[in-house]
Amino acid sequence: MSEALEQRDLRDTALDEVLLESRLARTWHTPPGWVGFFTTVDHKRIAVRYIVTAFAFLLLGGVLALLMRLQLSRPEAGLIGPDLYNQIFTVHGSTMMFLFAVPVMEAVGVLLVPLMLGTRNIAFPRLNAFSYWIYLAGGLVLWVAFVLDVGPDVGWFAYVPLSGPQYSAGKRADIWAQMITFTEIAALAIAVEIVVTVLKQRAPGMSLDRIPLFVWAMFVTSFVVILAMPAVVVASTALILDRLVGTHFFNPAEGGDALLWQHLFWFFGHPEVYIIFLPAVGMISSILPTFVRRPIFGYLPLVLALIGTGILAFGLWVHHMFTTGLPRVGESFFTASSMAIAVPSGVQIFCWLATIWLGRPVWRVPFLYILAFFFTFVLGGLTGVMVASVPLDTQVHDTYFVVAHFHYVLVGGAVFPLLAAVTYWFSKMTGRMMSERLGRWSVALLFIGFNFTFFPMHILGLQGMPRRIYTYQADLPWGGMNLFVSLCSLALAAGFLLFVWNALRSARAGEAAGDNPWGAATLEWATSSPPPPYNFTRIPVVRSANPLWDDGGALPVASGLSVNRRELLITTTAEARPEARETSPRDSAWPFWAAIATTIMLVCSIFTPWAVVWGSIPVAVTLVGWFWPRGTPEDDS
Amino acid sequence: MKPWHAALLSLLLLAGCKRETRQARLDPAVAEAMDSVATLPIGINGRPPPVLLAMGEPYRSNAYQLSQGKRLYAWFNCQGCHTDGGGGSAPALMDGWWRYGPDAVSIFLSIRDGRPNGMPAFRERLTTEQIWQLTGYLQSLGATSSTAATPGRNDSMQTRPGENRVPSMSRLPSPHEGGP
Repeated sequence: MSEALEQRDLRDTALDEVLLESRLARTWHTPPGWVGFFTTVDHKRIAVRYIVTAFAFLLLGGVLALLMRLQLSRPEAGLIGPDLYNQIFTVHGSTMMFLFAVPVMEAVGVLLVPLMLGTRNIAFPRLNAFSYWIYLAGGLVLWVAFVLDVGPDVGWFAYVPLSGPQYSAGKRADIWAQMITFTEIAALAIAVEIVVTVLKQRAPGMSLDRIPLFVWAMFVTSFVVILAMPAVVVASTALILDRLVGTHFFNPAEGGDALLWQHLFWFFGHPEVYIIFLPAVGMISSILPTFVRRPIFGYLPLVLALIGTGILAFGLWVHHMFTTGLPRVGESFFTASSMAIAVPSGVQIFCWLATIWLGRPVWRVPFLYILAFFFTFVLGGLTGVMVASVPLDTQVHDTYFVVAHFHYVLVGGAVFPLLAAVTYWFSKMTGRMMSERLGRWSVALLFIGFNFTFFPMHILGLQGMPRRIYTYQADLPWGGMNLFVSLCSLALAAGFLLFVWNALRSARAGEAAGDNPWGAATLEWATSSPPPPYNFTRIPVVRSANPLWDDGGALPVASGLSVNRRELLITTTAEARPEARETSPRDSAWPFWAAIATTIMLVCSIFTPWAVVWGSIPVAVTLVGWFWPRGTPEDDS
Repeated sequence: MKPWHAALLSLLLLAGCKRETRQARLDPAVAEAMDSVATLPIGINGRPPPVLLAMGEPYRSNAYQLSQGKRLYAWFNCQGCHTDGGGGSAPALMDGWWRYGPDAVSIFLSIRDGRPNGMPAFRERLTTEQIWQLTGYLQSLGATSSTAATPGRNDSMQTRPGENRVPSMSRLPSPHEGGP
């Protein structure tokens, strides 16, 4: 028997449940301690690490926001000088967009997509590990530079000529551009993994119309990432070349074009908003049915709205540039397309309302976050339609009205659903539940704190207060409202702190969660909390869009996978019929070393272009180690 | 020592090397002290003000200060006579030969007090800090090796490679190559 157990092609059909679980655990487990920490390719461990890091950056960015509110709380405050203030708002914006919002959404996708699809690991798991290390390095580059007083000071979209060689001396803007490179690599890596996982690794029977909506959202988001990121790759590379090598991409006198930067940046930057927003609506569509105890209303329109938003996202970047002097036709076109995005958003809102209307709401914390989302996001959407109109945008451009608008959309549209998602799927990360009582307090604090902090900014903007000013004169009528905003931002900060404290406490001492504490319908609840390294003992077979509700207690399973090798089931793209068995890579430290080599190359390239030449050698060495063929033949069937 | 202690310590050490500090407004006492150069009666060579050393010579090593100097070079029409450094009706500034000496104090004095045969005094037109910024920039113009701290190229037609790319020359020209 023991000889048979060591056989290379032992299948799960030959083993009983207990023996199978122990064999699978041996095949898929990561060694404990530091070795495991640097070599793991388990999508759950990497995702949790990603989420924790992103929340750390959220807190750091939040501290910067509080510093800005402290400085603006009264006129002519001398706490922060103009130079430091420039760095603070730039690092705040860059941290929130590039180091928190996008990575955290992708990380939740890395955690949940394989679980929801009923597979054992994400596609390209080593790339996944590499992505995390690169992301971490990018975040450290930005923050170490900030601590050294070399933090970028050109705003999170770094317009030329301000960020160009003439007006941004020193290395500050280079740090920003290279930080973008790090996050581009990290985000593109995850996007590719998710696309492949969704297309080829779904559980048998999970045809396109049975994919959970969160997975659909991550799928569309990943395509948006793949199509949008190249624009900013081009932009930030051209900026670095202008600054370090002396090219003239953005120098009009030598045939370049300063406006080119804005086009390239916003061709990425506007889809970026949907890269953050689409996963959030996916979370809502996946969480909501659990709390109204019925399947989602309008699955097809919701999927079409996701795809429609993803496509429209590329047709409205110019509305960020209405004040640059566009031809009238351009203005009209981009006004129309910007307003058109309200249609798919409206479709989703009404589908959710119908779901709630037809269901029996259970007023638990994730549902409360979703209600907070409704109120806040709809307000942000309405001001979005306002600034989509050229005459109004010309008035409020670069004022606090715009600051209020995008915080309503981003915090209301993405952070509230994210907090709902963390509360909801907390048991899949830690095996425990978050405290309901503390959760209710943080919903209340966040909702009230957020609205009282950001709503007055609309009025401040209409009164003419420009964004990015480090102070204002006492005779301007903004003092009282700024003080009010600063005080309310403390409530908002308290809400976030309470949430983090709740999460930390519950991770250690929370109530233990069963497999399916909320009584939900999708596959991630069909395994234990937290899931074992191999996710599912046997691969489930899906017969409806809500398998755990429609199939009663016991899901049918597919068998025939090898247990002594890491093996996945590959299925067809549309029907998800079993197609092949595919081996999944083992643990490896090479992704970590490759990330280190890439980091050294990118950081040194800020100082000399030769770093790209010499630095590519260690990168090549680590990649060779990474892809070194195994002695055993591939045997897919 | 735990790993994060080491990380924290190295962060603190790194924090010691702030190379890009920018001060919008100098302390008035410091600004005044920067004018006190000890010089010979002929107005050539001398000892730079001690406060400059105490500040870490920012006008020579801080990219922001250098780029401010470059901006002043354009604003005060140094191009009018010196062109972009190659020299016109006035001597070249990038060939490594300085009529009144290559040291910072001599250049500072040339700008502040003027020189015979046409170099005007800028004492009344520039603050002492601005004269030091201009001095630092001029020294970087004649540099024979590249450094990390340089102003970038301008968004205009280029008459020579950007300052951040190559030094204006790799060595001083010998007399029969055109050097004096």
